[in-house]
Amino acid sequence: MRREGNLGLAGWVFLSPWLISFLVFGLYPIVASFVLSFREYSPLAPQASRFIGLANYAEALHDGTFWHALGNTLSFTFGTLPFTTAIALALAVCLDKAFPGRTIFRAGFFLPTVVSVVVLSIVFKALYSPEGPLSGVLQGLGVTPPRWLLDPHTALPSIMAMDVWAASGYYMVIFLAGLKSIPAELYESAALDGAGAWRRFVGITLPMLRPTFLFVLVVNTIRSLQIFTEVFVMTRGGPLDSTLTVVYYLYDQAFYRFRLGYASAVAYLLFAVTLAISLLQVRWLKLAGAKE
Amino acid sequence: MKRWIACALLAVALAGCGHAGGGKKTVVFWQFWPSDTINPLIERFRAENPDLDVQVEQLTWQAGQEKIAAAVASGKVPDLVELGSTWFPAFAHQRALVDWTDSSAVLRDSLHLWDMASEDGRVYGLPWLGGTRALFYNKTLFARAGIDSSKGPETWPELLEDCKRINALGKGVNGYGANSGERYVLFKKFMPYGWSNGGTILSPDMKSVTFDSPQNVAALKFYLSLADVGRVDHQALIDQAFKQGNIGCVLTGAWLLKQIPADAPDLRYGVCMVPAPPGGKHLSFAGGEILSTFQKSANPSGAWRLARFLTRAANASVIAQDQKSVQPAAVIASDDAYYAAHPGEKLFLDQLGSSVAPPNHPEWGRMEAAIETAVEQAMYRKITPEQAITQAARELQAALNSPQAASPAATSPRAKG
Repeated sequence: MRREGNLGLAGWVFLSPWLISFLVFGLYPIVASFVLSFREYSPLAPQASRFIGLANYAEALHDGTFWHALGNTLSFTFGTLPFTTAIALALAVCLDKAFPGRTIFRAGFFLPTVVSVVVLSIVFKALYSPEGPLSGVLQGLGVTPPRWLLDPHTALPSIMAMDVWAASGYYMVIFLAGLKSIPAELYESAALDGAGAWRRFVGITLPMLRPTFLFVLVVNTIRSLQIFTEVFVMTRGGPLDSTLTVVYYLYDQAFYRFRLGYASAVAYLLFAVTLAISLLQVRWLKLAGAKE
Repeated sequence: MKRWIACALLAVALAGCGHAGGGKKTVVFWQFWPSDTINPLIERFRAENPDLDVQVEQLTWQAGQEKIAAAVASGKVPDLVELGSTWFPAFAHQRALVDWTDSSAVLRDSLHLWDMASEDGRVYGLPWLGGTRALFYNKTLFARAGIDSSKGPETWPELLEDCKRINALGKGVNGYGANSGERYVLFKKFMPYGWSNGGTILSPDMKSVTFDSPQNVAALKFYLSLADVGRVDHQALIDQAFKQGNIGCVLTGAWLLKQIPADAPDLRYGVCMVPAPPGGKHLSFAGGEILSTFQKSANPSGAWRLARFLTRAANASVIAQDQKSVQPAAVIASDDAYYAAHPGEKLFLDQLGSSVAPPNHPEWGRMEAAIETAVEQAMYRKITPEQAITQAARELQAALNSPQAASPAATSPRAKG
């Protein structure tokens, strides 16, 4: 009898598509970029690469543009997180109950998730243009529309609004799955005890969803800290670097300035920030759970 | 048994990844033009060169540079590559490209734009196509504003006055289209006014910064006055607004010559040279496409033959006439029948002859970004024009002093090709 965990040849063969792609496209770049972050490295002159210790990290920490990009990235993350989570939860609670057409609504809210971010970004760029429908509606109401992506004050919030709209549907599905795992008896006995809908939501739904919350918060934070495509398509970091994010900054350094070592160091600094925030979130939610 | 079937399937799958070889020698060519445009030329090349085959790969402007840099880093480079002129200095500076100085000497008189393909007096590619910016103006709006629409504005005062009068028409109509909100565009729209006014960026030997000058300050003030009577927007949206008939004047590329007949066939428009300041010139921005081969290319001689073929006037003209966004780098006869029949494209060809290419400095990307940031800050009234020019000059000096600007490591010999 074969022990559990001993895969055998066929097991490895079936695992190989994932395993090989993980080793080649996952683990190898992770390790290689860590090594690169301690080197001066231009892809155009790999032979001139040299070890420079922590110089790349020191340069990034003394670089005002890096801090500016990090500030924008954190604003984006913590500006979108509450809205995405609240909207996703509200949608999930509304669409959890059976009613005619529920599937259509669920599919509709989930739809942005399956559309390419590039396509969404192009559509929103047109939506935000001075001749776009958004400005048209505001003008129709007698309001002077903001300059959206062209005003340094509104460019980042405009991208954030799009992100909230596009991401809520995905987290809605996760919350729906979480809601399904809550035993119906809890609601029934609470109802027998005379608890109203709001009381049931606060007393049962929210605490029981804590693991789902943790997952949504952590995953959404990590994803938001890596924001790139929207910026690349819609603003390229402008105007006046108001939408410059860390990943766009490192992309610019790596592929326009050919400074792969420095860009790798920036990537690892972002990784450190991401790890710290995620650990804090896990700790905070666990503490909140322990108090109850 | 199942195990063996799985192994056999995997083996078949892996075998499918193999590469069949043999036959003629192949030239791997990475370029940016659509297959409809490039393939007929490649077919003609194959017919003329039966010993060579060409494998064409189309890159995108969004991800092309990334892909080329990754190819150089991995050593798996194409034989011939089309490089944008703003990318070229970094590749040439690192000696990643083959030195064609000697072999290209015979072509000196048949091609323009050699500065774009050279670094330190050495030639690292053949200039293939050139691109510049000229002034498009809307004749209908000119007539509505009571301006003579038979010709475009020739001087700065004329341009500003025309834009003011058109802007006063109101109802969503703007005098001028000024760029903002995206990188690597604004520079090409501002600097033509700087160059026309006698402004410069670096000294000819690229050893010192000459950007901080009254000429560039005056040009920036003029650009800001245009933005005041215009619309500030992304390039694509400015082009769109011009096609919709909502912008009087816009400094943009020849791609509109192809787009307008398709998107706005009823638009009445004209094209003219960049207006000159009093006593100044009509200078524009020059960019272009360079054909180069890498030190590590497998077939440098095949690449050279293909580059020579593509840069011939008749062949480069095929792309220029099909795409209209570029002009051949090859010398075109002044009585060329095609250009005589296409005045818009002829104007761009003439403007290309009065254009300035940015300095071929390895830190050019940083310098371009510095100028754009400063000009944009002035457009948003964060700083004065004087402060903007001084700030950009300071950043240019920092780029000149940076280690990346130093001579490349002398580890790679200059190969002759």
